[in-house]
Amino acid sequence: MTVRIASRLALPVLFAGLAAGQPAALLDILAGELTRNFPVLKEKADPAPYYLAYEVTEQDFAVVSASLGALTARSEGRTRNLDTTLRAGSPKLDNYHRVRGERTQFTSGAPLAIDDHPAAIRRRLWLDTDRAYRAAAERLIKIRSNTRVNVAEEDDSDDFSAEEPSVYDQAPRAVRFPTGEWAGRARALSARFNRFPEILTSSVTVLWQQETRYLVNTEGTRVRHGRGYARIVISARAKAADGMDLGAGETFEAAAPSGLPSDKTLSASIARIAADLGGLLKAPVAEPFVGPAIFSGRAAGVFFHEIFGHRIEGHRQKDEMEGQTFTRSVGAKVLPEFLSVIFDPTRRQVNGVDLNGWYFYDNEGVKARPVAVVEDGVLKTFLMSRSPVRGFEHSNGHGRRQPGAEVVSRQSNLLVESSRAVPEARLRQMLIEEVKRQNKPYGLYFRDVTGGFTSTGRGGVQAFKVIPVVVYRVYPGGRPDELVRGADMVGTPLASFAKILATSDKPEIFNGYCGAESGNVPVSAVSPALLVSEIEIEKKPKSQDRPPLLPAPGGAQ
Amino acid sequence: MKARFNAETQRRRERHWFSPASLRLCAGIAFLPLLLHAAEDPILRAMRDELARSRTLQVTGLDRPYFIEYTLEDAESFAASASQGGLVSTRRERFRAPEVRIRVGDYKFDNTNYVGSGYPFRPRYDDRFPLDDLYPAVRRYLWLETDAAYKSALEAFSRKRAALRNVAVNAELNDFARAEPLKLLRAAGREPVDGPAWLARVRSLSALLGAEAALKYSSVELESIATTRYYANSEGAEVRVPEAVVFLRARALAQASDGMTVRDALTFHAAGFGGLPPEVEFERRLAGLAAGTAALAAAPRGEEYSGPVLFEGVAAAQLFAEVLGRNFAPSRRPVAEPGRPAAFPYSELEGRRGARILPEWMDVVDDPAQKEFRGRPLFGSYAVDREGVAPWRVALVEKGVLKNFLLTRQPVRGFEGSNGHARLPGTFGASAAAIGNLFVRAAETVPLADLKKKLIEICDARGKPYGILVRKMDFPSSASYEEVRRLLAGSQSGSARPVSMPVLVYKVFPDGREELVRGLRFRGLNARSFKDILAAGDDETVFDFLNNNAPFALMGAGGYVAETCVVAPSILIDDLELHPAEDELPKLPLVPPPAAEARSES
Repeated sequence: MTVRIASRLALPVLFAGLAAGQPAALLDILAGELTRNFPVLKEKADPAPYYLAYEVTEQDFAVVSASLGALTARSEGRTRNLDTTLRAGSPKLDNYHRVRGERTQFTSGAPLAIDDHPAAIRRRLWLDTDRAYRAAAERLIKIRSNTRVNVAEEDDSDDFSAEEPSVYDQAPRAVRFPTGEWAGRARALSARFNRFPEILTSSVTVLWQQETRYLVNTEGTRVRHGRGYARIVISARAKAADGMDLGAGETFEAAAPSGLPSDKTLSASIARIAADLGGLLKAPVAEPFVGPAIFSGRAAGVFFHEIFGHRIEGHRQKDEMEGQTFTRSVGAKVLPEFLSVIFDPTRRQVNGVDLNGWYFYDNEGVKARPVAVVEDGVLKTFLMSRSPVRGFEHSNGHGRRQPGAEVVSRQSNLLVESSRAVPEARLRQMLIEEVKRQNKPYGLYFRDVTGGFTSTGRGGVQAFKVIPVVVYRVYPGGRPDELVRGADMVGTPLASFAKILATSDKPEIFNGYCGAESGNVPVSAVSPALLVSEIEIEKKPKSQDRPPLLPAPGGAQ
Repeated sequence: MKARFNAETQRRRERHWFSPASLRLCAGIAFLPLLLHAAEDPILRAMRDELARSRTLQVTGLDRPYFIEYTLEDAESFAASASQGGLVSTRRERFRAPEVRIRVGDYKFDNTNYVGSGYPFRPRYDDRFPLDDLYPAVRRYLWLETDAAYKSALEAFSRKRAALRNVAVNAELNDFARAEPLKLLRAAGREPVDGPAWLARVRSLSALLGAEAALKYSSVELESIATTRYYANSEGAEVRVPEAVVFLRARALAQASDGMTVRDALTFHAAGFGGLPPEVEFERRLAGLAAGTAALAAAPRGEEYSGPVLFEGVAAAQLFAEVLGRNFAPSRRPVAEPGRPAAFPYSELEGRRGARILPEWMDVVDDPAQKEFRGRPLFGSYAVDREGVAPWRVALVEKGVLKNFLLTRQPVRGFEGSNGHARLPGTFGASAAAIGNLFVRAAETVPLADLKKKLIEICDARGKPYGILVRKMDFPSSASYEEVRRLLAGSQSGSARPVSMPVLVYKVFPDGREELVRGLRFRGLNARSFKDILAAGDDETVFDFLNNNAPFALMGAGGYVAETCVVAPSILIDDLELHPAEDELPKLPLVPPPAAEARSES
């Protein structure tokens, strides 16, 4: 399984429009159809369902995008998607049971009426329940014969955990997103890139998404909750003379449009991006290298998300196709003893910055809660959905998905805490000492990353890659830091953790979207900068294309 | 691989309502003022300026472009869909879909007509066409896209030359035909859409359809796309034409007691909201759709049949549209990599010029230039095609004999020079030809009622208990993607492309009684079947549809659509075979449908 995080991944752009509903009515309609369908299926169907849930994700969204002073995209609207979960058999063995790593999708994420129009919604719920039931029954029959044929699985825990029902009803505060105003701001901001002729393409995109989730299940859960996601994505691309494509960018996230930065901050960001890109165009190409390095807090956050976070997702501990790096490590030391890792989906801000990975309830209706997964270097637990693994029979509120995908355990807000924290200047000094000690020509400083990916499956190489944008060589003996381009950071998880020497005392925040089996989910990673004794970089794949043959058109404006 | 920011909603259309004659006239007379006007149009000006500069593109030692063309669809769309009275989706959207195409080499031999033509060998720049008419931004976009297209064209060109060292081509055909550069500049303009009124209408129509208890699912969708199409090429063609299409579609689905799913759909098309029928007409036709689909679910299953089939009214026009329409577009085998032959869509009529393909009393003409038929605007008329060529009338079949094909600027065996029928994107760097207004005419006709008598007579003479009458085909198809996949997979045994399913099929008994049956499909129906047309009716049905590149012109599929019209009489064809569909049938839902008590709310 390959999973990735990216900060510049745009939200899926769906198109809809206007229309408003009386949201409270929707929970009643869902509950009504649930109690109409479930008893009939339970009585008449064979195999019979033991659990049925409807989740509706309502999204009101707006997007504007501009480039060089011209608007390039604008849309707004509303969508509603239905995810039906029907479990047939029993919690011990149901249709979601994984056989030989096969992942079956039962939900369709069907579009649902955006009005609270009972007849339209009921009809769709009825059809989707019938569809989900057929798929579930067919799958369960296959699984039953399969489990008789195959060798016993290592982890014989149940397929579905028992949880207390949740009841909660809090619609997110209605927010008006001034699309027209933002279109004007995006135009004006994007025009600032006109001053940098070496930049080939650039854009300023502003996104607003208000998400309301409705969930009812046959255990009595009845939940409505939601939040907003405001986001500005600034990006620019250029091409070096040798054909290498270079990019730089920055994103800003907030829970409400009012939390987005001012034009002054954004203009400064554009200047910084242009400066980075200008620097990268002139920078030498990085050579493959092994040696000491500092990851900035943002780079460290992505590093932890990829190499650690994905490996403690609960479902991977049970799946025999997975690498199961940490499956048997609970109670053992997996990180240096000065590090602790907490996943906290209830945490909304760090140092006044909004986090992306918070929510009230997960997609299975389990209340969000902080989960200390590593305390003083020792692994304590996994991130759990309602799919139990041996020794962990309950969810800890990390069952997440994008509409249309099946829930698996996913990360939320990852927070790295350190008891060996030093000021950043000291950390740099320690890097130089390490460079000298190892007799290396230089060390590396990873200032900014776009994201990364890792493969956790046994079938592939269980390694990770983090894609840095801004990397400096840090020389001993006073030579100024040197920007390099074209480096990717690579490694294997267990070897990498052992090499963390110290951290800074200043946490930085990386907000992004993580893509994996259950789709893209908003996440954050918060970490101080890390000093590592050894990291490897390799050359990035490079385009063979020349820069544009003709100069940029000038003349008549 | 074209620049598009929303593949789902992007539609390219080809349509206009002036004849080429009047068009050339107006282009001639209005030449000077229009040129002045064009100078003020930042888009055309940017296109012209960047075209001029791009001629100088060159990688040392390699070919320069000899032909460059820019297309921009500047579109505004409004769409809504509803089911059971509830709005499922709605969007109003402004988008611009640009296309940059480049040819290197010369008219005789260039980078197209090769398996890799059109493939982006070089990555595109990450850029979007501006929505604002900002001259520098438009030029900048064209600059980068032209650069990427040129590099890909060079790559395709060198690969094609390399491939030809190892494979021989049997026909010496030029790669591109010359065409007169057309100047046609019309003012851009869009009809305003009354969004709220249409939302209410779509909702209420869907409630009306949803009230039919026998339907398992139904929906109503409306879509309007108003475009200004800009086109410029390095030969000097410059076009700006406003185009518009509106359609309202209803779909109905029911399940028979044995589990078989039956479905039908209904579409109203027009060039503007004013061209749609009045409310009462919608309601009447929707009620007909609901009742018809319910009747279909209740009908018995059809059986194996071999013998004469009467295609009445729209069914005959659909059959001509689907089976003959696509075969009038010849195709060209691309240069392939040695040992790796390319799959390409071929025409069943390929190489049959001069052969009889219809009875000698039938003629077929395609005339996109004709604007009206019996006082009604023709849906398939257009002023200029995708390649900037004005269409002309093409006599395809005369006295049953195949005379001509629908042509684009891509030379094909025996034909070079466009007749203005490049209407859809094609393969291997070319556009695909498609029909505009297809007129099927019979010199010998019989009254419609006599056609049915004739069907019965033949059946009597052959001792058959009944004949088959088809009143509607599933074309364009309302099937789901999954069903289309099944249909295509199931028909790979035969060489010809499968023909869409008949929807309304009746057994006609000797006493004239008709019985609706369901679940039948044609076997072996193809272009050759038309030779066996026994008789044609004295009726003429006008059938409008949106053509696209998807199998069965699947409704809602494809980013490009072409408005099309077929006018044809009913026909009686001998020796056709029908067989019952052998799909696995799903069981009926265990839970009864939700009560329709909410009906009164809408």
